[in-house]
Amino acid sequence: MPSKYVIGIDLGTTNSVVAYAPADVDSKSASIELLQLPQLVAAGTVESLESLPSFVYLATEAETNNQSLDLPWPSEPRTAVGQFARTRSADAPNRSVVSAKSWLCHHKVDRRAPILPFDSPDDVGKISPVEATRQYLAHLAAAWDHKFPDAPIQQQQVVLTVPASFDPVARELTRESAVAAGLPADFVLLEEPQAALYAWLNQQGDDWRKKLSVGNTILVCDVGGGTTDLTLISVEEEAGNLELNRVAVGNHLLVGGDNMDLATAHVVAGKFAEKGTKLNPWQSVSLWHSCRKAKETLMSPSGPETHSISVLGRGSKLIGNTVTTEVNKNEIANMLLDGFFPVCNLNDRPQTQPASGFQEIGLPFESDPGITRHIADFLQRSSSNTESDTQPITPDFVLFNGGVFKAESFQNRLLEVIGSWSSDSPVQPLAGAHDLDCAVAKGACFYAWNKNSGGVRIRGGVGHSYYVGIETAGLAIPGAPRPLKALCVVPFGMEEGTQANIVSNEIGLVVGQPVSFRFFRSNQRQSDQPGELVANWEDQLEESDPLNTTLSAAGLDEGYAAVKFEANITELGMFELWCAAVNTDHRWKLEFNVREDAAEEQR
Amino acid sequence: MGLVVATKAFFKLMFNRELSDSFQQLVDGKALPAPKTETKAVASQPKPKPAAPPKPSRNDAISLLAALQREARLIDLVSESLGDYSDEQVGAAAREVLEESGKVIHRMFALAPISSAEDGSEISTPESFDPAEYRLTGNVTGEPPFKGQLAHHGWKATKCEVPAWNGSSKANHIVAPVEIEIG
Repeated sequence: MPSKYVIGIDLGTTNSVVAYAPADVDSKSASIELLQLPQLVAAGTVESLESLPSFVYLATEAETNNQSLDLPWPSEPRTAVGQFARTRSADAPNRSVVSAKSWLCHHKVDRRAPILPFDSPDDVGKISPVEATRQYLAHLAAAWDHKFPDAPIQQQQVVLTVPASFDPVARELTRESAVAAGLPADFVLLEEPQAALYAWLNQQGDDWRKKLSVGNTILVCDVGGGTTDLTLISVEEEAGNLELNRVAVGNHLLVGGDNMDLATAHVVAGKFAEKGTKLNPWQSVSLWHSCRKAKETLMSPSGPETHSISVLGRGSKLIGNTVTTEVNKNEIANMLLDGFFPVCNLNDRPQTQPASGFQEIGLPFESDPGITRHIADFLQRSSSNTESDTQPITPDFVLFNGGVFKAESFQNRLLEVIGSWSSDSPVQPLAGAHDLDCAVAKGACFYAWNKNSGGVRIRGGVGHSYYVGIETAGLAIPGAPRPLKALCVVPFGMEEGTQANIVSNEIGLVVGQPVSFRFFRSNQRQSDQPGELVANWEDQLEESDPLNTTLSAAGLDEGYAAVKFEANITELGMFELWCAAVNTDHRWKLEFNVREDAAEEQR
Repeated sequence: MGLVVATKAFFKLMFNRELSDSFQQLVDGKALPAPKTETKAVASQPKPKPAAPPKPSRNDAISLLAALQREARLIDLVSESLGDYSDEQVGAAAREVLEESGKVIHRMFALAPISSAEDGSEISTPESFDPAEYRLTGNVTGEPPFKGQLAHHGWKATKCEVPAWNGSSKANHIVAPVEIEIG
């Protein structure tokens, strides 16, 4: 049965949004709407909102038993997701799962193990990052089926967005959660910054061809609640037509709008302290919320110089216990601008603080919140291995995405800093209305719609090159590991639905017992070809979870098999690596080992 | 034939917990729950909460009050004795509460002015109109359409989406729960 709708899902670190459109290829443009998402906003209270906060609340038995967490559809027995869970995350943090998505791509922990909320006692009924993701998606799927009982999501065309920086393991885990949540098995993964650009393309119609010209480069700068995602897209020409090509993606940066709110709250708490008011933990959380709400007003150049920030009294003596302080708007605005978008040179690098010997196993938050320095670093790295070796790429256009950029002074500062890096024509924002909060979902929906009607597509394939570690043969030296080389198995830019022909020496594999390969990726080494052995990579390769397989010995005479690697990127954007026997028809799939090793490392 | 089916069904129900639960619900006249999607993670957990069955509904007015208290603390503000505080103190608290109250009200009712004219400008009513939509004050004589100065543009709700209540009927009149901080 052909699908009736195309659906775009933005599974965000802090908020999820669903956009949809009729899958009608005859119409000239996609009429995209946002799905209203019924969710608990308080115990026993269901309201439909445009976004589903990505929080899970692990309810107490009493809350579960009095049915106050029931939804209009059959739902999870012991948990609630959405706005209510978000509210609870402030007043009952040890029962609230936050930032599950960032944990999903944190390969120092076992992401299928019940570890969240991190640092909470076990009796709250912890869940795994994979399970939390499944619950968000299951809620979104149920909301869809509730609204469209005659067109269940299983039968629709679904595009789910992930950060461009997500590695194959995080993608695999996302897919696992999504299929378990009831999404159709053939859903497609799309990178978030690309989705944001698709939203712009949809809004522009055919006009985009007039606004961009060959040789232009667009920087997509997506600053969400907890993460920042960077992508470079270039405008090229093929057979007389303009083509868009994704040329580089940045690292996964754990810095975003939440950091800014916290920074503001920190300064304001200092003002209270000056006046002799010490805030208790509840007031501090409340202050954080007030600062989030005041951010736009504080950043707006118009209006009075000072702004008062109040923390309401907690009990029924609301007025009596309210504390207030005046803040100077410029002071806060400058602190945020200089802290998060500092003026810097293209040669500047993010500042790394010397790592302490003892470190908490938690999310690897960025030690440098200066987003402009991360952008400089990203641009330098992206150009270091492309043809334009001598001249770093500087973008001609910037596409802003994420709620943070509702404050125009952030946009202006970013443009000013990037503009100072190039003497050529000044950098410009991509003009046109852009829904900073919902563009990713809308763009994902447009991508699906577009796929049916054969419209514009951003090309680019995979944003990294991938490697397996091979120990070199040689005489063993006691105490020294054998030198490791990295065999390129997937070249940068390999397209979906293609296979890499890996020309390499045969590799001998032991059969009948598990074998493991170390696995690496790079977003800098763009010219390595499949089969190439890399011996020195300094900091250009980044290690990911190992790959493992057990080779069944059935039908093999010898105790080992001579194999070569085969790599596929499926149509759906998933990564597959196989070992194929050279002399027989045997093939073994390599799977990511996200369990044991990671768990051991943790101990 | 009927007996064969019945016997088969008997043994099926006897040894299949899930099926027998469904059968029980069928007998009880309840709708069958949607089939579960089986996953490893779910298998070890209790069954999903069923869809909320229709419950004795709560008056929407209570739901609105609860939302205004929950999101804006409006009930706390209007319940406090204003005489005990200075204007400055009241103002500081009220600013926050009013801003948030406004957000709640606009989200649920999407209020819009009825007339788009400026205050004080000359406007006239339609030939025939509903007195609920236009209130005439001052020296009201003659036949419509009436002409005069706009004193207030009026308000109308362009939607009315008060949150649905799913809780127990016992909690029907609870506007805000008791809060207890566990140390």
